[in-house]
Amino acid sequence: MFGCAHMPGLVMDRKRVVKSLLLTALFNTVIALFLTHLEYGKGFAVNLIVAQCIGLSICGAILAGHFLVDTSTRMRHFFMILVAMGAGAALGSLLGAAIAGFPLEAVFQGKATFFFQLVSIGILFGAIITYFFFSQERISETRRQMQDERIKRLDSEKTALEAHLKMLQAQIEPHFLFNSLSTVLTLLDTDAKKAGLMLTDLIHYLRVSLSKTRAENTTLHQEMEMIRAYLNIWKIRMGDRLEYHFRIPDDVKAHVIPPMLVQPLVENALKHGLEPATEGGIVAITAVRENGGLKISVTDTGQGFDEFGDAGFGLCSIRDRLKSLYGDKARLTLSENQPRGLKATIEMPYDTNNRDHR
Amino acid sequence: MTQTTAIIAEDEEELRNYLLKKLTMVWPELHILGAAENGVAALELIQRLRPHVAFLDIRMPGLSGMAVAKKIIGFCRVVFVTAYDQYAVEAFETEAVDYLLKPVTRERLEKTVLRLKETLHKSVTPSTESLAAIERMLAGITGKDHRKTCLRWVKVQEGNRIQLISVDDVCYFKASDKYTLVRTVTGESLIKRSIKNLSAQLDPDIFWQIHRGTLVNVRCISGVSRSVTGRGVIRLKDVPESLTISRSCMHLFKQM
Repeated sequence: MFGCAHMPGLVMDRKRVVKSLLLTALFNTVIALFLTHLEYGKGFAVNLIVAQCIGLSICGAILAGHFLVDTSTRMRHFFMILVAMGAGAALGSLLGAAIAGFPLEAVFQGKATFFFQLVSIGILFGAIITYFFFSQERISETRRQMQDERIKRLDSEKTALEAHLKMLQAQIEPHFLFNSLSTVLTLLDTDAKKAGLMLTDLIHYLRVSLSKTRAENTTLHQEMEMIRAYLNIWKIRMGDRLEYHFRIPDDVKAHVIPPMLVQPLVENALKHGLEPATEGGIVAITAVRENGGLKISVTDTGQGFDEFGDAGFGLCSIRDRLKSLYGDKARLTLSENQPRGLKATIEMPYDTNNRDHR
Repeated sequence: MTQTTAIIAEDEEELRNYLLKKLTMVWPELHILGAAENGVAALELIQRLRPHVAFLDIRMPGLSGMAVAKKIIGFCRVVFVTAYDQYAVEAFETEAVDYLLKPVTRERLEKTVLRLKETLHKSVTPSTESLAAIERMLAGITGKDHRKTCLRWVKVQEGNRIQLISVDDVCYFKASDKYTLVRTVTGESLIKRSIKNLSAQLDPDIFWQIHRGTLVNVRCISGVSRSVTGRGVIRLKDVPESLTISRSCMHLFKQM
């Protein structure tokens, strides 16, 4: 998930470069003091020059390596450090020897024992300090990763909670309730029988959508019956402008699905698709088993999607809920319906055990 | 005095019939010239029949009641029929504009009719200003803010169908030859819109242009750092690649 997490030092910023160089310089001074204390070399001044040259060269080579070479895998990273350390130590030894005034000809004339000694010491201490930096970086990386994980976990908990809350709110849309009751009231005056039918559907819709027992799961069949009642209510309001079909095969009817997952799609189709279209249109709800998954589609022949229009918060909440319930195994896609309108499709795992046998 | 005439525009059949019935009861002398079931038909009716009063539902397919009212300024009196909150609509009750709240009650209708009778001879019609004020208020009630004018969806061709991707799901847009790459957590696609066109239409608070050819969703940024050469580099949540910030866009991150 986090591309940089296992690649310490991929992104090098200036602050870190300066910090590394300063720490190296300090470490070099300690080495010089230590070697002088062992009475190695030609006094503290010379030791300090040589140690700084070797140490800073190694550090510089590694930093340059990070910047120039692709260190995207552990192997590459390790190899780069190895090469940089050798090259840095050799270069630093030469530089140190030159500055301290050792005869360089000696190196090229075969008497290289002293030079190799320098390189070996350089590599030894270089390895120590590289290891130190490496583990430092690892620690901070792990810490960062842990924090990232924590943030991610809290984030997903938050979205799941929000989505759940939105679902609860979506169950009773006040505007819908209000409009429907207005229509019932007017129908009482003109067509009492129709008013009765509408109230029956409204009660069915409210009973199912408000029932506490379906807080977690419901069957596809039950959900479709609730949506049918919902569409009946809209049908009375929209008259001939609305037509609807269900195509739900019997073998998927008992499948358990989360409640209020499909209803917002139907609501969107009506509100954004058909209601604003002068001649109305058709809503079709289909479910099908496909490639080991369950695919539920809501298609309308309305005025299609306004690229600048509001998403309808229902869609985001469906997506969030699918993610928190099924992870990457479920998705919601929207596509244009031909010749007009919109098609919303939910794909989720078809679970043969996940059936309600009541 | 000639007989007062009116038309009714309401998309829901039951409500239309109901209003018709109530109006004939409360105001028997009123001659109702016709009823329309959408905004376009209503406008046509008004222009053809020139009624004294138009009862207009605000939410109608084709053309909203508000749009119709704007086109008939000077023609006739307007009574809006609406399901919006009472308190909000009371505010736009003026001499020239009246309203009826759904469901229409007999008492409220009587009050409106009485007022219409009293003021009809004045032949006052709504002004552009008063309609604009109502429109602003309605926009406030329905919560339609400036985001309405920003691009919310991008259309992506996928095989032989057109998929819609919410801009909220887009991590970044990046120019790629003649096309633009749309990157989401789940994948990437190409669209024909240019970066220039996108940057003009997307919400500038959410999509920042960090490069001539890159627009990034700020909600997807996990961190910003400087490379050794001084270039700004953006790391993203949930996608592995990082993005470079051009020098001219670096000021966006200066205070961070």
